[in-house]
Amino acid sequence: MTTSTPDHVTTDPLAPGPGSTPADDAPTCCDPTLTRRRLLEATALAAATGGTTAVFGDAVLQTAYGAPRPGRPVLVVLSLRGAADGLSMVAPYGDPTYLACRGWQAIGSDRVWGGDGFFGWNDDLKALQPLWNSKRLAAVHAVGLPIPNRSHFSAMEQIEDADPTSSVRTGWLNRLIGLRDGGPLAGFNVDEGVTPTSLSGPAPSMGAAQVDRVSIAGSTSPTDRRMRSLHALWDGEGGALGLAARRSFTVVKDFKPVLKASAKPRNGAKYPNGDLGTALGTAARVIRGDVGVQVLTVDYGAWDMHANLGVNGGDMSKHCQTLAQGIAAFFTDLGQDGDRVTLITVTEFGRRMQLNSQQGLDHGWGSVMLLAGAGVNGGRFYSRFPDLDDTLEADLTVTTDYRTILSEIVEARFGVARNKVFPGFAERAQTGLLRPA
Amino acid sequence: MGRAYRGTPLLSPSDRHLVSRFSYGVTPELAARVRKAGGARRWWQAELNAGTADPGAGQIDGWWPDLDDDPGRLWINSRARGSDRTGYKVMIDYQRWCLARRIVADRQPREVMTEFWENLFNVPTLGDPSFVQRFDYGQTIRRNAFASYETILTAAVTHPAMLLYLDQCSSTKEHPIENLGRELLELHTVGRGAYDESEVVASARILTGWLVRTAFKTSDMASWDRYYDPAEHWTGTVRVMGFSDANRDPRDTGLLGRYLRYLARHERTALRVAQRLAVKFVSDTPSRRLVENLARVYLANDTEIVPVLEALVSDREFQGAVGRKVRDPGEDIVATHRALGSRMSKPRTDDDAAQVTLYQSSLMGQTPFSWPRPDGSPIDNASWSTPARMLGSFKVHHNLAHGAWPNRGVTYRSASSWLPPLPARFSQVVDHLSRQILHRPASDRLIRACAAATGQQPGETVTSGHPVAHAQLDLVLTTILDSPEHLAR
Repeated sequence: MTTSTPDHVTTDPLAPGPGSTPADDAPTCCDPTLTRRRLLEATALAAATGGTTAVFGDAVLQTAYGAPRPGRPVLVVLSLRGAADGLSMVAPYGDPTYLACRGWQAIGSDRVWGGDGFFGWNDDLKALQPLWNSKRLAAVHAVGLPIPNRSHFSAMEQIEDADPTSSVRTGWLNRLIGLRDGGPLAGFNVDEGVTPTSLSGPAPSMGAAQVDRVSIAGSTSPTDRRMRSLHALWDGEGGALGLAARRSFTVVKDFKPVLKASAKPRNGAKYPNGDLGTALGTAARVIRGDVGVQVLTVDYGAWDMHANLGVNGGDMSKHCQTLAQGIAAFFTDLGQDGDRVTLITVTEFGRRMQLNSQQGLDHGWGSVMLLAGAGVNGGRFYSRFPDLDDTLEADLTVTTDYRTILSEIVEARFGVARNKVFPGFAERAQTGLLRPA
Repeated sequence: MGRAYRGTPLLSPSDRHLVSRFSYGVTPELAARVRKAGGARRWWQAELNAGTADPGAGQIDGWWPDLDDDPGRLWINSRARGSDRTGYKVMIDYQRWCLARRIVADRQPREVMTEFWENLFNVPTLGDPSFVQRFDYGQTIRRNAFASYETILTAAVTHPAMLLYLDQCSSTKEHPIENLGRELLELHTVGRGAYDESEVVASARILTGWLVRTAFKTSDMASWDRYYDPAEHWTGTVRVMGFSDANRDPRDTGLLGRYLRYLARHERTALRVAQRLAVKFVSDTPSRRLVENLARVYLANDTEIVPVLEALVSDREFQGAVGRKVRDPGEDIVATHRALGSRMSKPRTDDDAAQVTLYQSSLMGQTPFSWPRPDGSPIDNASWSTPARMLGSFKVHHNLAHGAWPNRGVTYRSASSWLPPLPARFSQVVDHLSRQILHRPASDRLIRACAAATGQQPGETVTSGHPVAHAQLDLVLTTILDSPEHLAR
């Protein structure tokens, strides 16, 4: 396993950032089947058949901040947008109240694997079993915001900003990469749309759904006429747009090793069809290129299952299968590179205990968080599981603040003090989920 | 011989500013119409009072035939075995229609306001089954683009597309689904902080009974119209902030209308609508003074939007905000087509220009109304100022200026039509192009950048046989489209 030396704090991450409206990609509120990235796949196809692709010459890599150091820890944050029902993923099948609340949509003892008598994995997540058996996968239950927030947008903002001490909109991942002078590729959102809140802020980041889009059409080297012309237009331009243009020039130069690496998944990895598989495949390729990316954000949307939960082959089944196959393929693909990669899932809140009249679940509170890969003390369920109620308004009460887990990750994997990334978060609890690097 | 080439008459900078904010790009043709109307303000005033008829937009009628089908037919088609008319594909056609319409419409301010409201009341174009009503939803908003906020709010919130999208169609009196009742408060009117969870439940209860005639489980013909079912309406006192109603009668007593009227006239709604208009049309940081003034005008005029817009464009803050708004990707692709004067034809293949615009918009990070949440796509500068967006824009501008992609279903202007009488100095050629594309003289920076792109000197004489008059013209066009001026509105 590759280890790394903790970095020293060099800059104050809490510089004012640009203000903006909520800015992330999330599922539709009613329709659990479609997401935005489908269109982007169509786009890729069109670009491949009709678009132009830039060809890269033998440009010398030049960066303002020094070459990225290889082999550093990487964190992948997989957002289950729309508020995923953790109880359908890691089921407390030993709790009779859970079984009563969910009735025929409950995951009982006959439908779990890896059960410890109380918690068990939904069979639809079977593809995670090798990671679990090799103790590289863990789950934390009843995790979430300390106070319920049932608004998708506000809860996502709260989770991804994670700094109640400041009104400046800066995401926790932005603060994390801002602690090191990592350059514009330190953060990478696997989509070219709006940067998610978690990555938004003063530290630069990049986004692309497909790696070959990280190029400047019409340019073959950083010093050709095309680039000289763009520099003439943008080098003196102020504002957010000018900054973005100049960062894009640097990114294209620095990203070259990723484009040189083979696009083919390794070790027989087979990603599930669709958005998530494509995104995780892109993430693996970016990580293998080792161009200084420290955190990646990936969205997997459409968990807002207000109607027809579908644990019996419906929406929840399909989502769980895709999720498990995606994570499993990602680590298979990474192989040895996976030894420095930690993946976590985050969702804005969980769902109510009881099914509604449409056999779906309205907005609730606590959910589950999955952790896989480097540093994870796996093969265990972590939870102070609360007493459940079988009433219309009942939630899964949160017993673990989501920042407890994220704090342990930034400490164990990145060697930075938790209050640098989560200001005002005083809790010192240690779950033991992460091994120190 | 000076730098300027005065062949293209220009509007004054302040006139250009007003027209730019209320159109998808100031073309020489639009500028001529503005001059004919007696200046930008008179043109704008006339546009606010113009009807919905739009001869320019008429040229795309019938380009995407499914959009003319009624909801029942769309549903059946989408469910047919092996159908290639899924809801997803119909919505892609709608997105293409939106982009094409913005390019060709004569009534530009109405198109701009339609997008503004349609985004504020976002019903994502990815949604199944709301797709069956999605085209009518957009047309309903277009008709009401200059109406009162109360009218727009009512039209949007009670439209079958919205009732389908936010689950109202499945709500029952025993188990009211909170989705629409919550977003109505949080996103469409007063905003968070004005109500508690019990008021969300009351909001959902007020909405019970409003349903849609659906055929979810079957391929039967249904109207997909809104209707009211007293048997599903929850009765009993409802209280939401200062609104209360005994609500004893399950029949439609106009309860929802009274509730929406209350919400539309709430001071918090006034401030939020004013803030959003100011961010869209003035700057990302409008002053408190401006927003409060707009809210006052809104409340004093029974939520009518036209007086609010008049106060907005008359304000010194608007006049001082020239060039301070970044074009989002949708605005970029539309403005680029308008600037290049490309003429699209009815699409016959997927590679035709009218289809490709959508992919190009997507490469920059956004397509019409596909933002997958009810809060609408961001309208601030920072969201669209990312390295990824810049790379997308550079790619799209390059491909269009070179006529490389798309190269079917589109006629680009000929090289000779762009050029001033030759010979002319290189700087004069750039100036002439800048006036046509950016509706302003070329800056020194732009001339320098065009010179760098072509390897020419600004003082170089361009003759009819010169590379700039031929192969290099595309490089100059690309550079002008890549300029900070083109990326702002």
